[in-house]
Amino acid sequence: MTLDRKPTVIARTVTRLVVPMILVTAIALLLQGHNLPGGGFIAGVLTVTAFALVYIIYGLDYLETELLDRTPAVRYETESGIVREYGRVFASGLAVAAGSGVAAMVLGYPFLTQAVAFLEHLPVYGELEVASALVFDLGVYAVVVGALLTILAEVGAE
Amino acid sequence: MSADLAVSTTHVVIAPMLVALVTAVATLATRRHDRLQRALSLLGVGAYAVGVAVLADRVLSGGTLTYQLSAWPAPFGISLVADALAAFMLSLAALVTVALLVFSVVYVDEQGQRVSYHPLFHFMLLGVSGSFLTGDVFNLFVWFEVMLMPSYVFVAFYSGPRHTAAALQYTVLNLFGSALMLVSIGGLYATTGTLNMADIARRLAAPAEFGIDPAPVLGLSTILLVVFALKAGIVPFHFWVPPAYRAAPAPVSAFLAGVTKKVGIYAIVRLYFTVFAAGAVEGGLGLPALSGESFLAFFGPVLFAMALASMLVGGVGAVSRDALDDVFAYSSISQVGFIVLPLAVVATVSDPALRTLGVVAALVYSLNHAVAKSLLFLVSGTVYDATGTIEFERLGGLTTRFPVLSGSFFVGSLALVGIPPLSGFFGKLLVLDTGGRALAAGTPGAGLALAGALAGAIFTIAYLSRTWSQGFWGEVTPLVEHGSQSSVLVGVVAALALVVVAVGIGFDPVYSFAESAARAALDTDAYVDAVDPGVVARE
Repeated sequence: MTLDRKPTVIARTVTRLVVPMILVTAIALLLQGHNLPGGGFIAGVLTVTAFALVYIIYGLDYLETELLDRTPAVRYETESGIVREYGRVFASGLAVAAGSGVAAMVLGYPFLTQAVAFLEHLPVYGELEVASALVFDLGVYAVVVGALLTILAEVGAE
Repeated sequence: MSADLAVSTTHVVIAPMLVALVTAVATLATRRHDRLQRALSLLGVGAYAVGVAVLADRVLSGGTLTYQLSAWPAPFGISLVADALAAFMLSLAALVTVALLVFSVVYVDEQGQRVSYHPLFHFMLLGVSGSFLTGDVFNLFVWFEVMLMPSYVFVAFYSGPRHTAAALQYTVLNLFGSALMLVSIGGLYATTGTLNMADIARRLAAPAEFGIDPAPVLGLSTILLVVFALKAGIVPFHFWVPPAYRAAPAPVSAFLAGVTKKVGIYAIVRLYFTVFAAGAVEGGLGLPALSGESFLAFFGPVLFAMALASMLVGGVGAVSRDALDDVFAYSSISQVGFIVLPLAVVATVSDPALRTLGVVAALVYSLNHAVAKSLLFLVSGTVYDATGTIEFERLGGLTTRFPVLSGSFFVGSLALVGIPPLSGFFGKLLVLDTGGRALAAGTPGAGLALAGALAGAIFTIAYLSRTWSQGFWGEVTPLVEHGSQSSVLVGVVAALALVVVAVGIGFDPVYSFAESAARAALDTDAYVDAVDPGVVARE
């Protein structure tokens, strides 16, 4: 990315404000996904838009230099630095999603069978719904985040 | 407790898919450990073969098995249906895939294997297995996508200009096909009110009871046929085949020609002979030259024209090519014609014995083509590995330098031609037998089918003997002289050649397997009963 034209102060400030909001919304969508609109996929896509905003406004290296406090790896090399970590997120998400299905089989139910439990009389929170579908959603979330960020970082670098 | 036991025994239905999925994830996670990854990949494909064998054994001895994912009852949840047809196709895939993966480990260079070759291969296998097992049309679409996405990457694998161009064409065409498929599946859902294949068949058999108009279903299933013909590479949807097969690595071309194409064939058999066969348009189709009310009375002639055109276009194309892969790619267009032809002939006959024979012919020919064409693509890969070229101009005298390799090619091409006692002989015999019996029964077009099959067979002899004389006989060229072969690659090729011989010699069990598969494919009632989508209505 050539830096002869920096994004305006407005863009940078708005990004700083909006990114946390996007992430919170994404998490909300992820948590309610099993019985309300939302889910792992859309939460993942939303999370990636937050990252995309940071990439566009602050540049490709910002994440690594400022947030992770390290020197970014050399580009144009296959799977360097952060891209490798995105790949790891992708793989572990896939493992979690597949594992959540296999777990049901271990308990003697068909693949991907889900269950739900309600925790009542919790302090402060009251009633809490714990759905096993959330684990699958979490896996999907990681797959989407990992895959899309890999594409963004790789294609963005070119 | 007994319910739990019943559930746990049917886990075997999902075993092939789970093994492929777990292997894909495991090879993805071990990308940085070359040897471990390759070992896991080989272990995975071995486990896949064992899983398929157990499943096939269970199905053949105990009848159709079904599995409701997530324990949602049909038709609401996704059903997996393992009947003899699915088991036959899975066995075909497993047989070829084991050989291909062993070949890949040696053939594909280190860097290539590190760049996701193994996970992608297993995802492709997962998509294929899912397509064979699913009992839900939308889920079929999903598995088609799972199967196609890795194949896009594989066509672009070597990322040269030619590969990129082929991949672009292949991807765009298949995305277009996927869009068509999605639209027609949406339409099917809107008209029949269900996505479960058994439920569609049940509703089509009694359209008035469920308030369905069969005419739009016929139209939508025609659009679906275009998609399946595109996947199977049947003329006029064949043009993507040669560049894609040429561009992909040899074991992947073998997989695309041997296994992925058969998914298109399987979908045609499953949907048109099991599911849509139940449908009929009252008062005839109202189309010129087509009589009869059943859906198959319409699809028969359509498939017939496509099959004949495939045999001739593929045959003519293959005769004039000047590289091994191109000949084999055009050859697979022509061979798919041979697979579809018996299906087309028996679509319009009412005699159940003849219809079973036609489907058996198509299945046996599919098996023969899967093994023999994979063998030929692997020969091409081995020749490239040894000499660095697959062009006839620079090849010659392979028989003197590489006798085992050339012998395997010879066996594979004789199998395609149909010489006894190889697997291809029975394939051709059954196809011609179907044509002959249909002719004796007075089916219109059966004579044309026989003539087309004979012409196609002559083309097969022509292009394969041309390949033999140009590539394998003659003066030893410098490239061949200085080439050196890998013993593992030649071993895999020779093993596949032995399989071709073994299938031909021990044909009896293969035939009875194919026959039970054909019976399962044609017995709509048994399929519906096995899935039992009416369970909710009855309660």
